[in-house]
Amino acid sequence: MSVNWKLGIAAVALAAFGFSAAAQAGETLNRVTKTKTMVQVVDQNYPPFSFLNDKNEMDGFDIDVAKEVAKRLGVKLKVETPAWEVVTAGHWQGRFDVCICSMTPSKERGEVLDFVTVYYNTPAVLVVSADNKTAKSITDLNGKKLGAEAGASYEKYLNKALEIEGGKPIDFPFKDIQVAPYETEELAFQDLALGGGKRLDGVVGNLVSIKPRVDKSPDKFRIVGAPLFSDPNAIAVDKGDAEWKAKIASIIADMRKDGSLSTISQKWIGSDISK
Amino acid sequence: MGIAKIVQKWFRLRVGIVWGLLALSFGLFVSGFDLKLSLVMDKLPNLLGFRLTPNGFIQGVPLTLFLCASAMLFSTILGFLAALGRLSQSALAYGVSTFYTSFFRGTPLLVQILLIYLGLPQLGPVPDAVPSGILALSLCYGAYISEIFRAGIQSVHHGQWEAAQALGLPRWVVMHKVIMPQAFKVIVPPLGAQFISMLKDSSLVSVMGLWEIMFLSQSYGRATYRYVEMLLTAAIIYWMLSIMLEAIQARIERRFPQGHR
Repeated sequence: MSVNWKLGIAAVALAAFGFSAAAQAGETLNRVTKTKTMVQVVDQNYPPFSFLNDKNEMDGFDIDVAKEVAKRLGVKLKVETPAWEVVTAGHWQGRFDVCICSMTPSKERGEVLDFVTVYYNTPAVLVVSADNKTAKSITDLNGKKLGAEAGASYEKYLNKALEIEGGKPIDFPFKDIQVAPYETEELAFQDLALGGGKRLDGVVGNLVSIKPRVDKSPDKFRIVGAPLFSDPNAIAVDKGDAEWKAKIASIIADMRKDGSLSTISQKWIGSDISK
Repeated sequence: MGIAKIVQKWFRLRVGIVWGLLALSFGLFVSGFDLKLSLVMDKLPNLLGFRLTPNGFIQGVPLTLFLCASAMLFSTILGFLAALGRLSQSALAYGVSTFYTSFFRGTPLLVQILLIYLGLPQLGPVPDAVPSGILALSLCYGAYISEIFRAGIQSVHHGQWEAAQALGLPRWVVMHKVIMPQAFKVIVPPLGAQFISMLKDSSLVSVMGLWEIMFLSQSYGRATYRYVEMLLTAAIIYWMLSIMLEAIQARIERRFPQGHR
């Protein structure tokens, strides 16, 4: 009797999970068409890709791309800004429709989200404190402590665990590096600004978000040597809607062809990273 | 009487001077930070919530206050019910109440928020960020508040129960008219402390993308590379709100007679 009772509960739980896990085909596309709104989810703070501008609106490269996608779909754009973990956890349950949000495709993420297409590539670079005038490459920082955003591909790189989906294997020339994961890049730079070796000897991150910061305080930071690797950034959608995925992919392909993606890139980055 | 009053006034004046000096030294400490205050003035109207978000929702202080006011109401109700359960003879009520208190006091609020926001949808309902936040804050603080209510109710001498029941009053009348007015004297101060703590913990709901005080100040700080300015602004806003709550608490405390314990 008690066994049956337990089986019953297990069956109910399984049914609930199974039902919610398998999104029906075309579900997202139907929702977007019906509500005439596309809900774009972005990182709360990743200038110049997504950030709160002076008018208190989300703005940046990713927002402009989303605006153009929404325009071509003939729908309104709504932007949501939950924590990055909430975005990457997947199982959006219809809360968000698309993530044009600078996400590096990885195997783990591919298990909970579908990647539509890579829409730009960014070089990853090493930054040291301006008082470190000797370092010429990452190997000069062997045995030192480097910071990176927790969960980002840069942290994985420092842990020699980065594998880019469908990309070439990456070279890890350094050794004995102590990795300091930070909740945000901002905090890592606050620590590096105290001077090299105080709390941190360097930070690894994305050239595009790092460049304006270094340009702003050349007395504090210095970019070292050539880029470490090239980081592809993809558009992600919730699992299970092939039609929606194809739709977004074709719009991005059009935008690449007619040059509007490159225009947006020129506007925010000052160069074309969409190739 | 006259002298006592003068002594009291003199004491207050000296307390005022001490506050002034401490505030001044805090100001001096902060002034060493090389701050750009014009930025703060720019962003203040948004932080104080004079404008709506692009999605047409409240932001900043009004959002924080809305979340907290709702959670204060629900957590007080939950806390009271859980305290009654804890004091009950029924094994079911006692079990449910102690399990609830133990779980929600024993796990981090951030985990509870994410369990509600990300976990509940696995079972069917897909709650929005605001109700999820209010639910998580209410459940978490209800657990703490239940212990405050229990202590308050137990602090009333058992003789009061017996005397009231001897007069033939029904149980709920005894609770409402005899026990609670005396218990409240004990309940109010720690309850106020919980609400102030909740005010600040409400910043955790920004993980669901709600543009409350902490979310906005961190976003502005990162976008302008002026992090400390915005953090200090947020700190001062929270502090002012806490002072407001303290003042309300002091007024309520004065309504309950002191002494005779």
